[in-house]
Amino acid sequence: MTHHHTYTITKDGQLLIKKMESDQVETVWDRHAAQQPQCGFCDLGLSCRICAMGPCRVDPFGEGPQQGVCGADADIIVARNLCRMIAAGAAAHSDHGRDLVEVLASVAENKAPGYAITDTEKLNRVAAEYGIAADGKTPEQVAGELAHAMQEDFGTRKKELALVARAPEKRQQLWRKLNIMPRGIDRETSEAMHRTHMGVDNGWQSLLLHGLRNALSDGWGGSMIATEVSDILFGTPKPAPTKVNAGVLKADQVNVVVHGHNPVVSEMVMAACQDPEMTKLAEEKGAKGINLCGLCCTGNELLMRHGIPMAGNHLMTELIIATGAIEMMIVDYQCIMPALSKVAACYHTKMISTSDKARFPGMEHVEFHPDNARKKAYDVVKAAIENFANRGETYIPVEPLDAVGGFSVEAVVGALGGTPAPLLDAIKAGKIRGAAGIVGCNNPKIKHDYGHVTLTKRLIENDILVVDTGCAAVATAKAGFKVADAISHAGPGLKEVCGSLGIPPVLHFGSCVDNVRILVLAASLANALGTDISDLPLAGAAPEWYSEKAVSIGAYVVASGIYTVLGPMPPIAGSMNVVELLTEGLGEVVGATFAVEPDPEKAALLIRGHIENQRRKLGLDAAAV
Amino acid sequence: MKQVIVHPERCVGCMQCMLACAAAHSKTGALISAISESPRPRPRIHVGAGRYDEGFPNRCRHCDPAPCQMACLPGAIYRQTTTNTVLINPDVCINCASCAMACPYGVIRYHADPLAPADKTIAVKCDNCIARQHKGLIPACVEVCKVGALTFEEMDAAMKKKTDQVARSMSAEAIAADHAPGFSLLNTIKRAQKEINLSR
Amino acid sequence: MNYVIIGNGVAGVTAAEAIRQIDARGQITMISDESHPPYCRPMISNLLEGAVDVSRLPIRGPDFYDRLSITPTLGSRVTSLDVNARTVTTKGGQIFAYDRLLIAAGADPRPLDAQGLDLGGIFFMRNIAQVQEMIAALADTRHALVLGGGLVGFKAAYSLLKRNIGVTMLIRSGYPLSMQVDETAGEMIQQVLCDHGLTVRTGISVTAFEGGGRVQTAHLSDGSQVPCDMAIIGKGVFPAHGFVPTDRIDTDAGILVDDHMATSAPGIYAAGDVAEHIDIARQKRWVNAIWPEAAAQGRVAGFNMAGRALAYRGSLSRNVIRMFDTDVMTAGRVSPRDTDETCRFFSAADHRRQTYRKLVFEDQILVGFVMINQIEQGGVLASLIQSRTPVKISAHHLLDPGFNVSRLFDR
Repeated sequence: MTHHHTYTITKDGQLLIKKMESDQVETVWDRHAAQQPQCGFCDLGLSCRICAMGPCRVDPFGEGPQQGVCGADADIIVARNLCRMIAAGAAAHSDHGRDLVEVLASVAENKAPGYAITDTEKLNRVAAEYGIAADGKTPEQVAGELAHAMQEDFGTRKKELALVARAPEKRQQLWRKLNIMPRGIDRETSEAMHRTHMGVDNGWQSLLLHGLRNALSDGWGGSMIATEVSDILFGTPKPAPTKVNAGVLKADQVNVVVHGHNPVVSEMVMAACQDPEMTKLAEEKGAKGINLCGLCCTGNELLMRHGIPMAGNHLMTELIIATGAIEMMIVDYQCIMPALSKVAACYHTKMISTSDKARFPGMEHVEFHPDNARKKAYDVVKAAIENFANRGETYIPVEPLDAVGGFSVEAVVGALGGTPAPLLDAIKAGKIRGAAGIVGCNNPKIKHDYGHVTLTKRLIENDILVVDTGCAAVATAKAGFKVADAISHAGPGLKEVCGSLGIPPVLHFGSCVDNVRILVLAASLANALGTDISDLPLAGAAPEWYSEKAVSIGAYVVASGIYTVLGPMPPIAGSMNVVELLTEGLGEVVGATFAVEPDPEKAALLIRGHIENQRRKLGLDAAAV
Repeated sequence: MKQVIVHPERCVGCMQCMLACAAAHSKTGALISAISESPRPRPRIHVGAGRYDEGFPNRCRHCDPAPCQMACLPGAIYRQTTTNTVLINPDVCINCASCAMACPYGVIRYHADPLAPADKTIAVKCDNCIARQHKGLIPACVEVCKVGALTFEEMDAAMKKKTDQVARSMSAEAIAADHAPGFSLLNTIKRAQKEINLSR
Repeated sequence: MNYVIIGNGVAGVTAAEAIRQIDARGQITMISDESHPPYCRPMISNLLEGAVDVSRLPIRGPDFYDRLSITPTLGSRVTSLDVNARTVTTKGGQIFAYDRLLIAAGADPRPLDAQGLDLGGIFFMRNIAQVQEMIAALADTRHALVLGGGLVGFKAAYSLLKRNIGVTMLIRSGYPLSMQVDETAGEMIQQVLCDHGLTVRTGISVTAFEGGGRVQTAHLSDGSQVPCDMAIIGKGVFPAHGFVPTDRIDTDAGILVDDHMATSAPGIYAAGDVAEHIDIARQKRWVNAIWPEAAAQGRVAGFNMAGRALAYRGSLSRNVIRMFDTDVMTAGRVSPRDTDETCRFFSAADHRRQTYRKLVFEDQILVGFVMINQIEQGGVLASLIQSRTPVKISAHHLLDPGFNVSRLFDR
C-alpha cells in the first residue's frame, strides 16, 4: 500500500516504509492492519484472564453476561486490569532502576571494571537525602551505603520511600491521608498483583487508589532511583549539541546502534566504540570509523550525557534496519519488538541481545553483567566491525538535523542562575503561561510523531514551555524544535525568555525513566512558591502512548497533581464509573485528572485551557482559550 | 424458520464467532484439538474491519436467488430448501472462483477443508451449521456471541423487534438512551484517530 | 403455447426452466447443433487440462429434457428463420413452427486466414467434441502453437502447460488478455505463464501451416518458422446469427434486444452470446459473451416469453482466472482501449503479498477493476459496478488488503 503519509509524518519514515515495501519486509503497520478489528472486549477492558474459572467477559450492551464467573462486574474487571497494567509498568521501570543500583553496589566493591562514579557531587547530594553523610568517606564507600539504602527502598522495611521527601509537604500529607504513600517499590507491585488476584480487592475505587500508590512507587521510587544513579555513574546531563533522524547513520562507517533503555549496556558499548584501537580496526576493514547511534531511550540516555546521535524513536526501530547500513543493533530491554530480528534477517544487520531477562528470537545472546560488560562490549563491537564486510547496498534517505539535549534539572536550574526563581518570574509575568511535559511512546494507532509534534507546536506557539522525554523527545527533535533557532515557532513571551537564555523552547529531559526529572522540577517550583504541584500551571501529555510503563507514568504524574491528557484511550471504557473517576473524580482526590483526546489540536486546547485556569486560581493573569 | 441475523452495530470485533465456527467445522469439533488438525479448519464467518476498524461479522446471507449458485460452473452450489441454506458440494466444486466474482458480500474462501475430500482446495462458506441444527444446537457463531451481534430467530420476530425499536426512538418522549456509553466512547475515539491518520 | 429455443447452452437451459416455472403445459422444443446434453462450456478447458473428465461437464441431470417435458432436436443446426411464417428450418430441412422463439445460438469461433488449415492437429476450442479430439491427439504432441492471447488462447495454453506440453503463444497485441486487463496485470500474467514454460511472441501471426497429414511447422509473418504438432486457433468468437434475416430483425454485432430480451420482431427473443444488450460499465450496446450473463439473460428471456415481465439490468464483462498459484479477477473497463481521459485510476501493488489492484472510476462510479491475487472481495467490487452506486469513500479503502463489504457502510 502506498499511503505512507497515513503512517508517519516523518520524511525518513515514509521513505524507509516505501523501501521496506519494495524489499517485501513486513512492518508494524502491516501487523497492526492485520489485527483489525481488535477485540472490543479487550479494548474496553472487559475481558478477564486472571483465573481459570474464566476467561470471562462482560457484554457492554447489557444483555449478555454482566459478571465474570467469580461475580466481578465491569467496574471490578476494568479496575483490576488497569491496576495490573500499572503494576507491570512500575515493575519495568523499577527493575531497570534496580539494575543500576546493582551496578552502583558493584562499583563500590570494585567489581565492575569500566564503570565508575562520575558525578561525586550528585552522589553525595543523593546520599544525604538517604541520611548518609559523605564526610571522610571515599566515593566508593558512599556509593556502597547509598546502594544499600536504595535496596531498602525496594523492600518492605520502610514506611515511606526516601525520595518522596522531594515532593511538597502538602502533597506528602495528601498521600498519607489517602493512604497511597508508597512504602516499598517491589511491595506496591507485589501488592497490586495480590489485590487483583481473584477474591481479594473487589472495590474498584480501592483498586484504583492502590494503582496510584503503585505508580508513585515508580515515579518517586524506581524510576527516580534509575535516573539519579545513572547520573551518578555516567554523569549528570548538560546541554550539548547532537544530530537526529535516520540520517545520523554514516554510509562509510561501521554503524552500531543501541536500542532499549538501560545505560548500563549502552555506556560500555560507547566506550568500546570510542576506543582508538577499535577505530583502527574499523579502518583496517575499510570503514572510515565507528558511528554509534541510539534508538529509543537508551539512545536518549547517551544523547543526554554525551551527545550521541539519535536515529529514531519506537516506530523507527524496524525501519532503520532497512537502511542496510547498520552492522549491529545491540538491545537490552523494553519496547524491543520481537519483529526486529526478522527485519534484520533481510539485511546484513547482526542483532545482539544482552540482558539475562530479555531474549529475542533470531538474536545472538551476549549477556552483559557489571563484572563482564566492558569485555563483552569490546567483543560485540569487534563483531560489528567484522560485519562491515557483509554490507550490501545502503539507503540513508535523509540528512540529519541538529538538536540540543541534556536538560537535567541541575542544568536547567544552573542556566537560570542556580534557582528556579527566574522561571517562576517569567510565569508570574505571563511571558511563559506555564509548562507541559510531553512524554510517551509511538503507537501505530496514531500517525507516527503527529501527536507529539502537533501538540508541541501548538503549545510553544502559545507561550507554554515544553519539556519532553522518551519517544516524544525524539519526535520533536526530528521536527526541528530542539535547536535555539526553534524559538521562531514560539509565542513572543516564550521566545523572549528562551532567546535570552539561548535555549530551545522544547527541552529534552531524557529517557522515559527521566520523567522523574519533570517531577523534581515541578516539586521544586511548588516548593519555591510554598504550594502544591497541583496548584501550578502545569500539564502532562502522552499523545502516542502504547506501553504499560506509560500507564504507570500517567498515573504517577496525575497522583502527583498534574493534569494529563492521553492520546490513545486506555482499556477502561467498559466501566463508565472508572472513566468518570479518572477523568473527573480524581480532581477532588489528588487535585488532578486524566483526559483522553486523540486529536492533538484539541489536546492543545485542553492543556491551554487548564493552564490558564490554574493561573487564574493562582491570581495570575489568565486568558480565555 | 429461524435464521442467523446479524446486528453489526453490536459487534465488538472479538472474533469469538470465527473461532467457534472453525471449531464447529473441524473433524474433532473442539477448539483445543481443532487447532492441531490438518488441514486446519477455518472460519466461515469473517469479522472484517470497517472504515474505522470497527468489527463487522460477515457471513453468507443465503440469498434467494443466490448469485453464487447462478455463477457456479460445475453446478456445485445448491439450495437446501428445508433449511433455506445455500450449500456447496465439495465433491463437485472445481475451485474456479466464479462464485467469488458473483458474491456481493465477499464471504466465500478457497482452501482445503477438514470436511471435504483430502488435499482438495474448494470454495467454502457458511452452511448455517445444519449439522449442529440436526442435533438441536443453534449455529456456533450465535452460541458464542456474547453481545447480541448474532442472533438466531424467526425473521418475522426480528423484523418486529426492529420496527418496535425504530418506533420507540421516534416517539416524542423518547430520550436517546445509549445502552453502552463506554462502547460509544471507544468508537468515537477510534474514529477520531482514524480520521486524523487519513488526513494529510 | 409453442416455444422453440435455438441452442442448448446455458441461456437456452435457464430460459426453458424459467418458462416451465410459469407455463407447465406449453410445448418446448430445443434445437442444437451439438449432440451433448447441456454442459458447462467454460469447463472444456478443465477437460483439456485433465482436471475433470467429461462426465463432470453436464449442468443438469440426464433427465433434464424429460423432467421439463422438452422435445430436444440435437445435432442439427438452424439455417433459416421465417419471421412471417413464424418458423425455423434446420440444415436437415426440418421445419419448426413457434409462437415464441428464443435465439440462444451462441457464438462461433472466428476463422483464421492462413494456408494449410486442412492439416490434422489444427483445432478450434469451442465445444466438447473439439476438446475430445485435441485430447486424442495429445499423445503425439510435443509442442503446441496457440494463436491468440485472448481468453480461449490463454486457457488452451494454460491447460497444455499443465500437461507438460511446450506452448508457443502468438499475440497480436503486447500482452495476453489485453481485452480484459491493463498492461501491468497483463505482464504479470505473462510472467507467470513464462515461468511455467510458455514462449510468447507478440506482434506476429501465422501465414501458413505445413506438414504431412498432420501439422509439423507453422510459417510466421516475419518469415520465421515454428515446429508444432498441434495448433489451436483462439482468435475470438462472433455471434452465430447468420441465419437471422437482418432486414426483419435489428442486428449489430449481435442481435439487438430490449430490457425484456425481446428482439425487434414480434415473439422473437435472444439471449446469451448471440444477444446484444447494454453493458453496464460502458453504458452502451455491447455483446458480453460470458457464461453468467448468458445464464441470467436466458432466465429473463424465459420469464418474458412465458408472460411474466422481468427486466434485465444489463451485462458486465468479467472474468476470473486461476493459473498455477496466481489468481486474476477482472470486470468492466480496465484495458487501455476501454478507458479514456474521463476515467480516474487508482492502483496498488503489494510485492510482499504478490498482489496488484487497479480500480477505474468515472466520477464516483466504479466502472472497472483488475485484481491479481486476494480476489475474495472481488464480488463486492463487481456488485458496486453493477449497482452504479456512487463511491463516496476514499479509494484507499477499496485498495486496502483489509477491504471488505463493511467499508461501504457508515455506522
